[in-house]
Amino acid sequence: MIRVLLVRWSRYNPYYLEPEPRKEVYHIPETELTPEQKEERELKSVRPIKAATNSVTSSVFNDPVLSKFVNMMMKDGDKIIAKGIITQTLENMKRKQVEKYHKAPEVKKAEIECNPYVIFHQALENCKPVIGLASIQKGGKFYQVPIPLTDNRRRFLAMKWMITECRDNKHRRTLMYEKLSQELLAAFSKEGNVVKRKHELHKMAESNRAYAHYRWW
Amino acid sequence: MKCSNIVTQMQMLLLSTYFLFSPERRTANMAASGGRTVGSFLWKCGNCCFNFNTVSSNLTRQVLSRQLCVSAVLHRKNLAAAGPEKFSEEFIKKQVEEFNIGKRHLANMMGEDPETFTQGDINRSIAYLFPSGLFDKKAKPLMKHPDEVFPKQRAVQWGADGRPFHFLFYTGKQSYYSLMHDTFTKALAVEKHQDRLRGKDLFTQDAKQISLVGSRWLLKEELEELLVETISEHDYARFIQLMERLLSLPYCSVEEDFVQRYRRQLEIQSSKQQVQPLQYDQHGVAYSTGDGRRKTAMGTVLLRDSGSGSISINGTNYVHYFPVLQDREQLMFPLHFMEVLGRFDMQCSVSGGGHSSQAGALRLAISRAMLSFLSEGQVETMRQAGLLTPDPRIKERKKPGQEGARRKFTWKKR
Repeated sequence: MIRVLLVRWSRYNPYYLEPEPRKEVYHIPETELTPEQKEERELKSVRPIKAATNSVTSSVFNDPVLSKFVNMMMKDGDKIIAKGIITQTLENMKRKQVEKYHKAPEVKKAEIECNPYVIFHQALENCKPVIGLASIQKGGKFYQVPIPLTDNRRRFLAMKWMITECRDNKHRRTLMYEKLSQELLAAFSKEGNVVKRKHELHKMAESNRAYAHYRWW
Repeated sequence: MKCSNIVTQMQMLLLSTYFLFSPERRTANMAASGGRTVGSFLWKCGNCCFNFNTVSSNLTRQVLSRQLCVSAVLHRKNLAAAGPEKFSEEFIKKQVEEFNIGKRHLANMMGEDPETFTQGDINRSIAYLFPSGLFDKKAKPLMKHPDEVFPKQRAVQWGADGRPFHFLFYTGKQSYYSLMHDTFTKALAVEKHQDRLRGKDLFTQDAKQISLVGSRWLLKEELEELLVETISEHDYARFIQLMERLLSLPYCSVEEDFVQRYRRQLEIQSSKQQVQPLQYDQHGVAYSTGDGRRKTAMGTVLLRDSGSGSISINGTNYVHYFPVLQDREQLMFPLHFMEVLGRFDMQCSVSGGGHSSQAGALRLAISRAMLSFLSEGQVETMRQAGLLTPDPRIKERKKPGQEGARRKFTWKKR
């Protein structure tokens, strides 16, 4: 069967809207909606909607940030291995935290966080840079100019640093999930190489503060 | 005598051929259609085009030999640019009468009631009486009302003394400019109304606004059709700009009728879903089927309302068939979304593709099969969750001069 494909564009017409797979959104009764939400609902009822992707479900365990992390970890399209590593990482983190919890005195028990998802999110938050650098050419020379970063960019940088850190700076015999759980726990308590890298970036940006006016956008 | 009567009757039929865009195609095609702009997408959705090529035969046999050489004129979509009218009003009126008489004769011939003979019946009868083996739609014989066949033309714009009737005639686009003038007059009237209210201290910011959700502005083609005049993209943009400006005034609801004349209602998408009626087997258990496709995988599902929650795929249990968690989650997605996890019994069969695409195909099949068990509101929520749209993404083709779809050959300096 000959299929005619559209090259270099999205397969969807731009008229299509993004789907909303979470259940809770649809259980809000009419009275509690803001006017914007009501308008959005009416718009959705007249526009066609794209299909939900394979990695998205309405389950409580579906986490978009985690899915992004899995995709970034993936090599050669092998999602099964990437997802396996992440699952092992979360399990490992939980084990370590529970061990720490049982060993800690009564006073300190309340402070120890055992939920691996919370640890993951907080660690990622701690790794996100606030300001970034861009290479701008002025008068023949390239200067590192501090620029603001979008949310997506910050999240991407945090994840990228985490993954490269775990792939490169580890002992030959440590497995990926082991190293990743160590790094995530360190980032959760604001130690470790990744947060150090973030701080270095911030210092560079502060030192290059004089060039900030080179940015024109 | 009777024979010749029938022959005359046959000749009386207006044999006009035309081309009509095919009605709503399947959603998958719609998603992957060639129309990249929203405007062309909407145009394909629901509107007729006036591209056609008429060869009309007339009442008497002498007139039959007179062929109207109109092909060049009617190939063009431009209505006003066709020049001074080729068809006078009396001609069009005569055509309409002939069409109506011909319609009644056709109804008599087919043995049906002439009063309730619709256009669909006419099409069927013509297809039956004049079976055509031709593939080109433009070449097949067809009978349509003259208003749809002949382009809408403007009557002569000037009187016997050569003086034009409309004061904007010499602008070249009189209807467009008069429309712009009217709109601006309305905007001024609204502002004056607001000033009067301010004078009486009755002005409030939260006056009743015109509801714009669920409707869209007229497309450029539709506006051209309304004005019987060609307008440029720039003109159309200015028109929309002026209407938006009118809508930005707080008390624009005074001119609601005027604004609504230039808006079209968008149809509710959920009404386009085809829901199969529920079937019952010999034990009284309700069941329904559904099929879905994704990439190259095709899946079918038989959903039974028995209450056990067992799933078998190609004879094996779903846990053994899909060892990956993600695929099993995809199967459960529609059930979990509608909170009917343990209710249905499923027998699935799937072929083609890889494990992910098979899971996606089955998810679509399950969602479609579930539609018969759900109410209208639930169907709409499922559609908004993205469960009912077939995924149009397929493997991108390899291009010549490149290694793959995107990967280029290794760049060598020399």
